[in-house]
Amino acid sequence: MHLYRQPIILFGIALPVLCAAAVVGVGYMVKSRMVASFENKQSTYKTYEQGRLAGLEVEAQVTRQRQHLDRWNEQLSQETASSVATNLREISEKLPSKEIQQTAFERPSSSGGFGAAAAQKSSQIRIAFRGTYRTLQRAFLELETRMPQLQLQEFKMDPISTHSSLVNFQVTYTAWEN
Amino acid sequence: MATFQHPASLNVLQQFAQACSILRNTSRANHPAWYQDSLELDFQLHVRPDGPQISAFYFDRKKSQWTHGPSLTEEILNDPSQLEPILAEILRHARSNGATALGVVLHIADEFATTELKPELDNPAALPELRDTAASDPVSIIEDSSILADQASWRVVPYPASGSEVIGTTITLSRQYASFLETIRQTGEKANFPIITHALSAPLVAIMGLAQTLELTPERPFVSILQYPWFTVLAFFNEHADLRLIRTLQHRGVRRATNFRNALTTTSASLEFVDPDLFILPLGPDVDTTLEANLRVAFTTSRVESVIRNQTNGIPEWCPEPVIAATPPPADQTAISHTFSILRDEKWALQNFLPTPKEIIEIYPSRAEMRLLRALRLSRVALVAVTILFLSYFVFGMVDLIRRPEWSFEPKQADMIKTRLAKLNSERQKADHWNNLLEDRSKVWTAMEAFARMFPDHGGMLVKGYSHSAKPDNTAGQAKVGFVKEWKINGYARDEALEYLNTLNTRDGINAHFSEIARITGNAAFNPTTGNRSISVNVRTLENGGFKPVPPEEASPGDESTYPFTFDLTITQRFEATDPMALNVPKAP
Repeated sequence: MHLYRQPIILFGIALPVLCAAAVVGVGYMVKSRMVASFENKQSTYKTYEQGRLAGLEVEAQVTRQRQHLDRWNEQLSQETASSVATNLREISEKLPSKEIQQTAFERPSSSGGFGAAAAQKSSQIRIAFRGTYRTLQRAFLELETRMPQLQLQEFKMDPISTHSSLVNFQVTYTAWEN
Repeated sequence: MATFQHPASLNVLQQFAQACSILRNTSRANHPAWYQDSLELDFQLHVRPDGPQISAFYFDRKKSQWTHGPSLTEEILNDPSQLEPILAEILRHARSNGATALGVVLHIADEFATTELKPELDNPAALPELRDTAASDPVSIIEDSSILADQASWRVVPYPASGSEVIGTTITLSRQYASFLETIRQTGEKANFPIITHALSAPLVAIMGLAQTLELTPERPFVSILQYPWFTVLAFFNEHADLRLIRTLQHRGVRRATNFRNALTTTSASLEFVDPDLFILPLGPDVDTTLEANLRVAFTTSRVESVIRNQTNGIPEWCPEPVIAATPPPADQTAISHTFSILRDEKWALQNFLPTPKEIIEIYPSRAEMRLLRALRLSRVALVAVTILFLSYFVFGMVDLIRRPEWSFEPKQADMIKTRLAKLNSERQKADHWNNLLEDRSKVWTAMEAFARMFPDHGGMLVKGYSHSAKPDNTAGQAKVGFVKEWKINGYARDEALEYLNTLNTRDGINAHFSEIARITGNAAFNPTTGNRSISVNVRTLENGGFKPVPPEEASPGDESTYPFTFDLTITQRFEATDPMALNVPKAP
């Protein structure tokens, strides 16, 4: 008797439970792998997102500055002394000639001023003028606006005489170069 | 109907498949009647062949109602083709009476024989074991070694009376009705309608029923004479109404056994019965009715009585066995002796002489197995549901992952954005570098504006010398270095300018002047409140040695001798390395 008990238990519950456990196990394993893969991708994606957002921010900054940077690059690639001379000539042409006279233009060979502290390539320009105060201020304003790479290193003013409105100016610049 | 095979001929998987098929295609799982005894079922068919005729009666146990059954003959019972429509009619009748199962009880009244047990089997305690052995291996317990086990069926009947020489005997019946019962069972299988068969020995049932019909004389033995058409059974009971012996006398074509009186006399004498009561039970419609009168003449000192059982509606009085077997009497009626108690309670008189063969029974799962199979089917459904739930949970989880943007993200994009970010950072660093270098930290025009506003016209001051320098700190190894801007101004001052110079010589005074220049020129280098920077000022005034006092209206602004004081002003503005305008030391990236 009970000839069916063994097959009933075997195929009726034991094997189905094993099969179900196997199916659930496989499902769990697949999901675990997917979760692990997802966490890996999520980490990469998070890095990517942070990079992308940072990139957008940086790009916005860079885009805003790019035109200036291009201009600076172009400007910094020019030879400083000739560029200063050219600009001064152009500026002087627009000002009363009696109120501005260039008396000296030198290029000291020694490194000094800001150029001595920075690794960036630089040169020095020393210029002397005689002229009225406001005219020369306008000239310097124009020159320094055109050439922002000029950093004032030394500046001296001496009145020519008590009764004259002309003043002697001596300016030494450090000019950054590319 | 599917043909099922014995499980021993099947492999394990086929056994399970067959069990499932039985579960699906039969009502065995949910109909307990398949596993019940026929006498327990609510609707029964009792068939009683007694030789000359075959009687049949339906019994509705719920209604306690007996009705006439189908007309049967020996020819019909032995011919399946004739039996088939009869069985169909029986099934139809059962169903029409609301029956869900049918018990067929065969009361065999056309044969009865006893066979002695082996003399060595004299242990009354071994009777239960002998009972099982009689059904499975009769040869091992029967004295007659010439019997053929497949030709007949043997069942043990005990002799409970104390003093009996033997513990019991065996009743032998042929298997002539086995095929009839087999056909009935097969009909039930085909119709998926439980038909349970049971073959009883009618004389044994009649003996069991004596307790309800006899009025015994106290302390006197008695002999029950069961008159069947083809034989007579003599059952000898002692003074305690316990069975001592059963004898059968075949009529051999006449109405009474020729040696009947001799057998009765000698057996009573051998049992040392003195004047036993003689109870005659006519159990056939045409049995010898002169027996009682004859016995009264022969046994004048004995009480001779013909016993007629109370008639039950639908059942002839000469046919009491169906009623005795189907309707248990009250307990007090069976308690008149140990014999009558055990004949019914232990079912010695209700033994099935033609049970379903073991190899047929084993084809079908047992009741417990069917219950287990059904329960496991439900368990499997639950298991599948749970598995599907788990899988759904996993699948939903996976779909949720797949639907997220991170899943479809290509790692190459991260590399691309890294490269792009590095490029942009490089570009930004370059821009920042040049932004730093090109800061308006030191310009001529702003210095001139600061000077002009510090020494306004008609301020009572005359400047003779002005120098301004900007020098970086020489601190090695730093990414940024601070710087120092210095102004040195000297000149002449009148009395009214001293207060102004003193104001400049204070922190608030010089800061106010620098703040004004920062606001007017927009040059942040003059803003004293931002970054990490500081301003110090030092004004030194002295009397002018060349001063020549003149009336104020005659004093010329350009005449140094009209100024009573000289002054020397030094302003130092220090920018620390942490100031936003501090100078980048490295080269452009």
